Amino acid sequence: MSRGTTAPTPPGPADPGQTGGTPLKLRLGVVSGDLALGLLCRGAAALVLLMLVALVGLLGHAALPSLRAFGADYFTSAEWRPNELTRPLRGPDGRVVVVDGERQTETLPPRFGALPVIYGTVATSLIALVFAVPLSLGAALFLVRVAPRWRAAAPVAFLIEFLAAIPSLAYGMWGAFVLVPFLGRHVEPLVFRALGDVTWLKFLFYRDNPVTGQSIRIPLEGRDMMAGGLILAIMILPIVTAVARDVLRAVPRSQIEGSLALGATWWQSSRAMLRYGRAGLFGAVMLGLARAAGETMAVTLVVGNRVEIVPSPFASIQTMASLLANQFNDPVTEVHRSALIGVALILLVISLLFNIVARSLVVGGQSRTALSD
Amino acid sequence: MRRWIAGVAAAAAMVLGTGPIAAGAGVRLTGAGATFPQPLYEAWVAEFNRTHPDVAIDYQPIGSGGGIKSITDKTVHFAGSDAPMTRKEQDGAGGAANLVQIPSVAGAVVPAYNLPGVEKPLNFTGPILADIYLGRITQWNDPRLVEINPGVALPDRVISPVYRSDGSGTTFVFTSYLAGQSEEFSSAVGSGKSVSWPVGQAGKGNTGVAQLVQATAGSIGYIEHNFASANAIAYGAVKNAAGKFVRATTESVSSAGSGAAERFTGTVLAADIWNQAGDGAYPISAFTYLIVYKDLSNLPSREHAQAMVMFLRWAVSDGQAAAAKRDYAPLAAPVRARVVSALDQLTYKGEPLGPSKK
Repeated sequence: MSRGTTAPTPPGPADPGQTGGTPLKLRLGVVSGDLALGLLCRGAAALVLLMLVALVGLLGHAALPSLRAFGADYFTSAEWRPNELTRPLRGPDGRVVVVDGERQTETLPPRFGALPVIYGTVATSLIALVFAVPLSLGAALFLVRVAPRWRAAAPVAFLIEFLAAIPSLAYGMWGAFVLVPFLGRHVEPLVFRALGDVTWLKFLFYRDNPVTGQSIRIPLEGRDMMAGGLILAIMILPIVTAVARDVLRAVPRSQIEGSLALGATWWQSSRAMLRYGRAGLFGAVMLGLARAAGETMAVTLVVGNRVEIVPSPFASIQTMASLLANQFNDPVTEVHRSALIGVALILLVISLLFNIVARSLVVGGQSRTALSD
Repeated sequence: MRRWIAGVAAAAAMVLGTGPIAAGAGVRLTGAGATFPQPLYEAWVAEFNRTHPDVAIDYQPIGSGGGIKSITDKTVHFAGSDAPMTRKEQDGAGGAANLVQIPSVAGAVVPAYNLPGVEKPLNFTGPILADIYLGRITQWNDPRLVEINPGVALPDRVISPVYRSDGSGTTFVFTSYLAGQSEEFSSAVGSGKSVSWPVGQAGKGNTGVAQLVQATAGSIGYIEHNFASANAIAYGAVKNAAGKFVRATTESVSSAGSGAAERFTGTVLAADIWNQAGDGAYPISAFTYLIVYKDLSNLPSREHAQAMVMFLRWAVSDGQAAAAKRDYAPLAAPVRARVVSALDQLTYKGEPLGPSKK
């Protein structure tokens, strides 16, 4: 924007094409200035990359003790137990072993399996996508094709993007005080009344007590995977909508007009638009997924924070980011700390992958459309 | 992150402390650790400053584990911890012979609940609480609860247990008590600052548990006594070793700690005070501890060491009255005597810091 004001003034020394008449001293200054700025920029870029590498390296190093201690168990075990457990030693027949009239005990060391929190993160993120993607695509189509640009599109786009500016904690409070009670008092009891007697849906409402082995009712109080997914859906709406809108806007007019000329209805031409931009739209979804996976405070307040795998949307769960928020402040032992850092590393790698895939899809899609524009 | 900042702050304070401040203009002491006694320690510092305006004391509530790590790394002058140092932790910090650990006050964990329509405080027993948290007792009108609550119309409602999602001394005390009350709890859940619970939902900190309990009709959660009374949260009585149902008060918790003095050894004083004998003793009680090095040469100067000793002596004498006002239970007289004699052994670079002025 400053180019407009500098254009009328005579070419300055910074313009390399016009330096014929300037003194040598000045030209040297220009050259070394260019060099310095060039180096500075390269250095800054390298530093940013270096920070990422250092972060991954440092987390990996700190997570090593737990990975070494638990090996593959770290990724496959569903048990997250920071305390040591001393229990009666049972023989193969299930009876307590008694030696010289004394009952023998065995001590189980702490065990850290990251599977439940990986599961919790994936499950809540998927629920978020199920709700957010149709809404976002609908809103994006509305903004690009339906809304009169100045009277509706701009204010609606502003409001959707405004959702992104609300602090995560505010979503969490709303979730804890409005969404959770609403789900627990109205939605979930209704679902239970409708489906509670269906035999093959028992897994939605019942779980096994790991200690007693009894099948028990899931409390259905709204503090669960569903609440987490819904909160995340609202939180990722803005980014998915904004990116999807940009992708759809980049679809060349010739495509739309071509399909209309062939007699396509409004809906058919919209579908052609969505198909044309599908790579970019998929990228938008991936960006939403990355945002959902890393969300912390809002999730902590609504998911019930149980580190376990119960395959029901009405069961309390824990996500990776939320587990870190809860336990990293004061880990019980060094292994516990190391296991938590391992979770952070998994989260970082997953978010990084989502972002890389998303960016390449969005940018790739747009450059292709830009060429034909 | 907070611990890291606290560490840097403490280190910076130590560096600054060796400057002109040490010359007598005033000293700054830093501590870190348990969150449970933090409101009390803050009040203690404010009150202590009235008579000792030249001593500044800073306590960072970063958690018991963080406190022990900080004193081991010598980034703080004193540490607070809800759980006494384990043998391993003592060895990491130079061994029991080089440490002084004293109880500063006692606290209690109470069963808080949300049961609309029930006004009278409910009675609980250790085995019943254990079975609630094991998922064996699932209804408020369970015959075992009805039996110990005569005259209370317990509703036909599902019990929703609530526990702490973060590691905490509160969980350590509660699970240690339950493990002593139920063999099944001991072998299936065990005890510790953070355990794996078979049923229930979790909230972060006392605040998180209290929020869940207050938001969910039919729920029960364990929270610190002073937090429950400060926030007017309903909590029940628990049957003690003498068979009496006792509610947590500063008196009933102090009484639980009174017999501990006989079990202290050396200068690392520690005693579990849950399920103690005595008609008036509240059963889910525990000490919270302060930890310093026996030789305070990790402090920048003799003035610092003297100020440290003065503060600790003040805390276990005049400070105890201030504790009671804030629902922390004061130490019983025999315990206090043992604490004072442990403090008498503190030195600075091998020189004694003088016995207590009685």
